[in-house]
Amino acid sequence: MTEGGGFLPIIAMLPFLGALLPGLMIRAGRNVCAVTTAMPTILALVMLAILAPSVFSGEVIEAEIAWLPALGLKASFFLDGLGLLFAGMILGVGLLITLYARFYLAGEDPMGVFYTYLLLFQGAMLGIVISDNILLLLIFWELTSLSSFLLIGYWKHLPEGRQGARMALAVTGGGGLAMIGGMLILGNIAGSYELTEILAETEAIQASDWYLPALILILLGTFTKSAQFPFHFWLPHAMAAPTPVSAYLHSATMVKAGVFLMARLWPVLAGTDAWFYIVATTGLVTMVIGALIALFKDDLKALLAFSTVSHLGLLTMLLGFGTPVAAGVAVFHIINHLTFKASLFMCAGIVDHEAHTRDIKRLGGLASLMPVTFAISTVAALSMAGIPLFNGFLSKELMLEEAAHTTWAGNPQIVGIVATIGALLSVAYSFRFVAHVFLGPVRDDYPHKPHDPPFGMYAAPALLAVLVVLIGVFPAATVEPLVNLTAGAVTGQEMHMHLKLWHGVTPALFMSVIAVVGGAILLGLHRPLDRLWIAMPRPEAKVIFDWIVRQAATVSGRIAEGTHNGAISRYLAIFTAATVVLGYLAWAGGGMAPATREMLPIPPVVGVGWVMLLGATLAVVVMHRNRFRALVLIGIIGLMISAGFVYMSAPDLALTQISVETVTIILLLLALHFMPKETPRESGPALRLRDAVIALGAGGGVAMLTYAFLRRDFSTISDFHLENSYSGGGGTNVVNVILVDFRGYDTFGEIIVLGIAGLTIYALMEALLAGPASRRLRNWDFSRDRSRDRHPLMMVVATRVMMPIAAVVGLYIFLRGHNQPGGGFVAGLVISIALLMQYMASGFAWTQGRQRIEYHSMIGSGVVIAGLTGVGAWFAGQPFLTSAFGYVHLPPIEEFELATAALFDLGVFLAVLGAVMLTLYSLSRIARYAGETVNIGPMDYDPSQPPEEMAREEAERREEEG
Amino acid sequence: MEMYTEILVSFFLVVAGIFGLVGSFGMLKLTDTMQRLHAPTKATTLGVGGVLIASMLYFGLGKAQVSFHELLITIFLFLTAPVTANFIAKTYMARNIKPEELPASEREYGWAVYDDPPGRAEEDFHERERKGRN
Repeated sequence: MTEGGGFLPIIAMLPFLGALLPGLMIRAGRNVCAVTTAMPTILALVMLAILAPSVFSGEVIEAEIAWLPALGLKASFFLDGLGLLFAGMILGVGLLITLYARFYLAGEDPMGVFYTYLLLFQGAMLGIVISDNILLLLIFWELTSLSSFLLIGYWKHLPEGRQGARMALAVTGGGGLAMIGGMLILGNIAGSYELTEILAETEAIQASDWYLPALILILLGTFTKSAQFPFHFWLPHAMAAPTPVSAYLHSATMVKAGVFLMARLWPVLAGTDAWFYIVATTGLVTMVIGALIALFKDDLKALLAFSTVSHLGLLTMLLGFGTPVAAGVAVFHIINHLTFKASLFMCAGIVDHEAHTRDIKRLGGLASLMPVTFAISTVAALSMAGIPLFNGFLSKELMLEEAAHTTWAGNPQIVGIVATIGALLSVAYSFRFVAHVFLGPVRDDYPHKPHDPPFGMYAAPALLAVLVVLIGVFPAATVEPLVNLTAGAVTGQEMHMHLKLWHGVTPALFMSVIAVVGGAILLGLHRPLDRLWIAMPRPEAKVIFDWIVRQAATVSGRIAEGTHNGAISRYLAIFTAATVVLGYLAWAGGGMAPATREMLPIPPVVGVGWVMLLGATLAVVVMHRNRFRALVLIGIIGLMISAGFVYMSAPDLALTQISVETVTIILLLLALHFMPKETPRESGPALRLRDAVIALGAGGGVAMLTYAFLRRDFSTISDFHLENSYSGGGGTNVVNVILVDFRGYDTFGEIIVLGIAGLTIYALMEALLAGPASRRLRNWDFSRDRSRDRHPLMMVVATRVMMPIAAVVGLYIFLRGHNQPGGGFVAGLVISIALLMQYMASGFAWTQGRQRIEYHSMIGSGVVIAGLTGVGAWFAGQPFLTSAFGYVHLPPIEEFELATAALFDLGVFLAVLGAVMLTLYSLSRIARYAGETVNIGPMDYDPSQPPEEMAREEAERREEEG
Repeated sequence: MEMYTEILVSFFLVVAGIFGLVGSFGMLKLTDTMQRLHAPTKATTLGVGGVLIASMLYFGLGKAQVSFHELLITIFLFLTAPVTANFIAKTYMARNIKPEELPASEREYGWAVYDDPPGRAEEDFHERERKGRN
């Protein structure tokens, strides 16, 4: 990090932090809100000003915050001349726009929201121009697309606003996607994602085979952003935004981002034929087409929008020439365009604000009504036309000079001629802006009687107009150092451009004269030409765009509906088949070492188990329509798998499997009670055949995969776990140590998921019981097959006896977990089973009456305990979830271990218990709806009480309950 | 291991095997559910019991270790087998036997499976009332 580098991340962050404020400060009034919005901008400007002297002395200021250095992900920033110029422009114009918007926005427009969007956008733009890491740059790039979407669609009640915002997002966002690809290729070639390092790799990049793809992809991004032909159409539609937004986005920021990036990457990308022909030609075409359309636009902002397109084309063309001088001219024109175009946009906004129309055909003669606005507009428009003494003249002259010296496909004149035509059209529309709006007779049919706005509204454009004249008259004294510095940063070499008014009699002078005279003549002929233009058929960009969007939506809709039609069998089929195919490809790709392990003999007992497993599996396939039978068979499969775990010396897994199996079967049984007992036949033979093929393929694939791995020696992470379990986690039960320590974060996530699942079942049941299902349940008649003795004595007594034993077993399993098979998860399940037995034996109501802790809070406290245990590690200066352990010796019992992992395990235990019991609770709610009786005693027939007394007690109890 | 220990262990294992076989055979051979209920109880009590005794003898006499695991298994078996049989029988009755086919209970109240427990019939009525109102 260089000196002063610390400012850079702060500059980038300030607008984002500031964006939080306007929404709050609007409560204190519109002025306070505007001032609050200006604060972060001013602060950033001040920091920039502090850094400026060192940048001017040729220093490059860098700052870096490492995030994932291994992946090349760093928040790194740098500031050189180019960055300084753009950052200054973004912040400076941002400040002016903040002022202007304060007066422009009407009372009913939510100003806080506007300023928030504005600051977000400003932050994104700033990020682009000072990022060093191109991945970071891409993020900011996309952020500008998103935040400009919000800004353009600010008037969300207007369909034009919404459509314009959508179009801008689709085009610039789409281009951004292409650019991500291009940037990644570029970073790959250069071997670094840091711009400062990429810029030093010119030769490697231009020699690479991937240069052209990278160039095209990056240019797609910059052309869409900078509205180059044929992507220019979004920009005029973005004019549906409030004028401050247009003035900001289309003069200094958004559309300049593309130009900025072309300038930034100029040293590595420019100079090749591909660059010249793509960039310069596109720029040239855009310049002429934009200017031509602008001339015939009647909407003031549309005129300015197409003129912006034209000027962006000019900049692109200059950068495309690939010569350092042309790049320097481009930099100079960026500054000039900013000053006159922002000013013109604001003037157009003022006219719209005052006269309530932007239609040139309804305006005219405003000069005497709005003298101040007229003066500002005239200065800016003349600069845009390229009239001497205004800054636009200087850069246009230089541009024509460069164009005159450029040869295109062996033709030395064509670029000069076309550029002159562009300039001529530009003169014509600039003159039209002044002549048709301000000159001519005063009319009496304006929608609103216009007059000059308050000072606050014209202060910003006036300041810019002053700059236009200052730069135009004293270019050497005002901007020459900045232009040279920036051009130096763009081209990577020392630049000594001398900006002056009079260059002598050069070809450019003649071209300029032709342009001005021709433009004036063209304006004189505007009326007949306009009629011709309107009569002429021309492609309407919006229609084409909408058609493309519609087609794309249709195609993606078809694909989405074809693959995601809501049938789970189809998702599963696609997923499974894709997995099998990928697995096959991986296998076919080779790289499989020959088998190194011998086949083992099959002991008879294992063989019998295998046959049972196979038999049960086949039986499920055959009998799955009878759901109870399928459940019994699934139980067999589960038990055999547990036995398999025991055989493979995985007692932990076996324990877990058995307890999970038990809980699952019980809950499924309870749920099945309320569902049809048979699965209906829904699919035809063809579909069943398809499913059979997929199932066999997937099953066979997994079997082969397992077989392949079992026959080979290879090292896995298991070795690490085995070695470090005791020394690192303090436990000899590796499985448990993995769960609570090595992969504690996973477990933490899993118990949260488990808790969410339990709560979701509860919530779903709540929704279910409020819907039509509840009516069906209530009409369900269970009385026929319901026994009157649902809580039989024997079962009740047996479960009562078992309860403490099961609880002790659960506790035992929990405590031994760290060193021997067991742990919080299994213990939670064991206790759940013990409780489930109580519920089944004595009925839900009776058991529920004896439960003290709510299951919701049990899940919650489980997650909290586990989380707090993890947090505890912070106090010891360790990362989240690091476990500590020690050994304690209490005389009467053996020495035992105390580990924080056990506390974490307690959280797991509680979450598991809570989730299972909450599921049971949800199921029993269905039972209540279906008319199951509520039992008050633990059993239906209690032999310890005479029946008469029981009846009397029940009656009393009901009396009390009301 | 001593000869007599081996003989003892083998004896119990063989007994267990025979009862297991008989129990399984009964499951297949007997036709009526109530009859079939008897077969697996033989297999669980005597069959598994024989294996457990053999195991205890094997560890107790052969390896001079006293083993209590088997006792625990026995307890659980004695607890679960009757409850299971009880449930199967009750279910069978509820589904297949009409109350008219049974003799009278000779008490004030009817048979557990068929008739509501004391005080319950009334409650059912209340329960239906509540549902109707909702």
